Amino acid sequence: MSENTTKQTQTESAATDSDQPLTTTAGETAERTQSEWTEYDFRGEAKMTVDDLDVYYGDDHALKGVSMEIPEQSVTALIGPSGCGKSTYLRCLNRMNDRVSSARIDGSVELGGQEIYQDGVNLVELRKRVGMVFQSPNPFPKSIRENIAYGPKKHGDLDTGLLARLLNRSDADERDELVERCLRDAALWDEVSDRLDDNALGLSGGQQQRLCIARCLSVDPEVILMDEPASALDPIATAKIEDLIDDLAEEYTVVIVTHNMQQAARISDQTAVFLTGGELVEYGDTDQVFENPHSERVEDYITGKFG
Amino acid sequence: MAGAGQTDTQLVEGNTTETDAVAAVAIGLSAVLFALAVAAMFERVSLTGTLAGVQTVTLLGGLLTALGVAVIAFGAGSRLGYVETDPDPSAGLIAGFGAAVPWVVVGGGVASQTLGLGTAGGAVGALVVGGVAFALTVLPREDLGSTLPLGSLLTLTGLVFLTGVIGPDWVWDLGWAQTASITAEFFIPVATLFSALYGGWASAKSYGGFGARGRHMGAYVLVYLNALSIVAFLFILVAYVVVQGVPGLLTGFELGLGTGPQTTILGVSVTLPVSVPFVMNGVALLNDFQGVLPAIVGTVWLVIGAVVLAVPLGVGAAVFLTEYADRGRFTQVVEVATNGLWSTPSIVFGLFGFAFLIPRFGNGKSLLSGMITLGFMLLPLVVITSREAMLSVPDEYRDASAALGVSKWQTIRSVVLPAALPGVVTGVILGVGRIAGETAPILLTMAGGTFIPGSQTVDVIGSFQFTAAPPFVANPALLEATSALPYQLFALITAGVGLGSSVSDPNAFRWATALVLLVVVLSFYAIGIATRYYFRRRLTHT
Repeated sequence: MSENTTKQTQTESAATDSDQPLTTTAGETAERTQSEWTEYDFRGEAKMTVDDLDVYYGDDHALKGVSMEIPEQSVTALIGPSGCGKSTYLRCLNRMNDRVSSARIDGSVELGGQEIYQDGVNLVELRKRVGMVFQSPNPFPKSIRENIAYGPKKHGDLDTGLLARLLNRSDADERDELVERCLRDAALWDEVSDRLDDNALGLSGGQQQRLCIARCLSVDPEVILMDEPASALDPIATAKIEDLIDDLAEEYTVVIVTHNMQQAARISDQTAVFLTGGELVEYGDTDQVFENPHSERVEDYITGKFG
Repeated sequence: MAGAGQTDTQLVEGNTTETDAVAAVAIGLSAVLFALAVAAMFERVSLTGTLAGVQTVTLLGGLLTALGVAVIAFGAGSRLGYVETDPDPSAGLIAGFGAAVPWVVVGGGVASQTLGLGTAGGAVGALVVGGVAFALTVLPREDLGSTLPLGSLLTLTGLVFLTGVIGPDWVWDLGWAQTASITAEFFIPVATLFSALYGGWASAKSYGGFGARGRHMGAYVLVYLNALSIVAFLFILVAYVVVQGVPGLLTGFELGLGTGPQTTILGVSVTLPVSVPFVMNGVALLNDFQGVLPAIVGTVWLVIGAVVLAVPLGVGAAVFLTEYADRGRFTQVVEVATNGLWSTPSIVFGLFGFAFLIPRFGNGKSLLSGMITLGFMLLPLVVITSREAMLSVPDEYRDASAALGVSKWQTIRSVVLPAALPGVVTGVILGVGRIAGETAPILLTMAGGTFIPGSQTVDVIGSFQFTAAPPFVANPALLEATSALPYQLFALITAGVGLGSSVSDPNAFRWATALVLLVVVLSFYAIGIATRYYFRRRLTHT
């Protein structure tokens, strides 16, 4: 925790306190987020630090002043009702929102101490270090092998092209090692090792999603962002993905958006709750957030009274 | 079956009954009549001759009458309770209009022509008869309404043919001009065709036991006959050209070692083991058999040139429009412009080539001008279809690639383009089909002549020359006038005088040219379809 952030949170809490009387008159549902609810003390280093992040889609204020620190080598779950901005938040962490032309982003996101929202950021490098897995499995219509080798090939780390083969400089062996390592890490190797050259679209939904995770691992990321990775899968495939996430957290920093609160409780080390309006309402140890939330709205949400 | 009439709510119906069999035979009869009518229309069945030992017209009449009687009998049987069916209270308005239309024609025709009441009388007759048919369809219960008017129509048509009122020699002179008359050759097949359609519809409804299931069966039979007729028309068209063209194509055909002309393949001189003079010769004074080789080669080069010009440009424009340009006014304008270009008449493109390209390429009609003109014609279709194909590539692929840190251009090249390729190839196939048969632009930009000597066969690859001065490479063949099959066919048809002195059988020569054109275009299609299949397979199988 740098001094800078502490100072900022203090000023914020002061502002919130002065607003307090106004909101009580407006009723219980308009309860304000208190900064100490989102202040999460963890051991170890922060992998990513988000400070006062605002996102606008045109006139729509999708994310309001979110600040949080994401500890490394852990699983952080983002939960909340639909439209609360949790996916938007996730997509800010590797600047995928840049691809939405109407999006405008204010605030700061640091990866390992380096600001990613500044001029001269190398998006290729950023996205290599912060990988992403999407809601619905989206393997390329290519073979399993090519799906995994795609990223490294395009970054010039692997060359198996015609010219390289002719000049006897092909990296085919390195590629096959990489494919095997990524598939083993994604717990898919045993199921597909004998059909690496088959089209990836022939795999089942759960296998496709694990292939996407393997593809994401192929560029050796530090952070893996997952946007509801199990929402399109059946319970057995979901269980496999959850086990996998557990294993991945030993080496990588995982941030996962999920709709499923039981899932968040099962797999995450810390949980952030976003509520309608794009606010981060509570952030803390998963056990604490689920068993003893500070905010009434979060309690209502978790116990199923709304959302 | 009369006793079972009460149990119309039973879930499982009994086995095929005699009445079902009658209806099924009626459907089959309609299909046979339909096929006969199509065959007669294309003169594959002679109306004046005999078929299965019976006069063709008499046979058609007999079958129509039988079908009509069967349909009426089924409807009446159902109404009187002898046949187990499930009819609605009325056949409905659509069936009413459907039945009224042929009866309007019959009523009008009979009143104005047979009874000689003139135009006004005809109109009255048409309205009255059509109205009666409409009422008879809509007012009674469905089983009677959907069989009686149509069955009587079939019976009437059948009896007219059977009794020889309208025979093979029948002509109805319309009196507008000397040439406007309806002959039996046209009328009998058309009347049979429509009667067969109506008969099939009515008997299919009967087979389904009327009601919702009957209508389903009726629609099913109509849709099926429709699809079949489209396939049949296509097949007949191709078959017609083949039958007419093969004699001319195969004149002087020889098979055996050493019979063919000498050619050089990869530097080795080979004597081909087949000789097909028509596609291997040009026209020369001393030829035994004349041929159209220069036009074939011209067409092939023309298409290759146009594709080479249009595909990179078109795909590039589509990449820019879908992947780089923001969707807005500009892309809309481009879209409207490309759609407009695609519907621009080909003669306008030809005129553009004539006025703009020819003065710039040697001031004479040339292969190059033709290629560029046809390339411009092909361009809009390539842009439109490539754009559609790229838009239909799921955004998930682009997201996945971007999330791996892969740049936009690399994503387009390795993910978007391969996924869009089958669609792009489809567009090129369609476009090639159009430009390979274009006559007007060729007429204005590269026309050679009606008969082209074999010595004028273009040799694009062989005539590349290196020159001392810039641009250092020259290809005179591209700047020479040559011919293409559609233009040669046009020229042969319009030439008339002098045709007989060059070829022994001008008609066979024309048809053979048409056949070769068809084969060339279909070969391009085949290549395109194979390419598309290959790329599509790579996307789903690897």
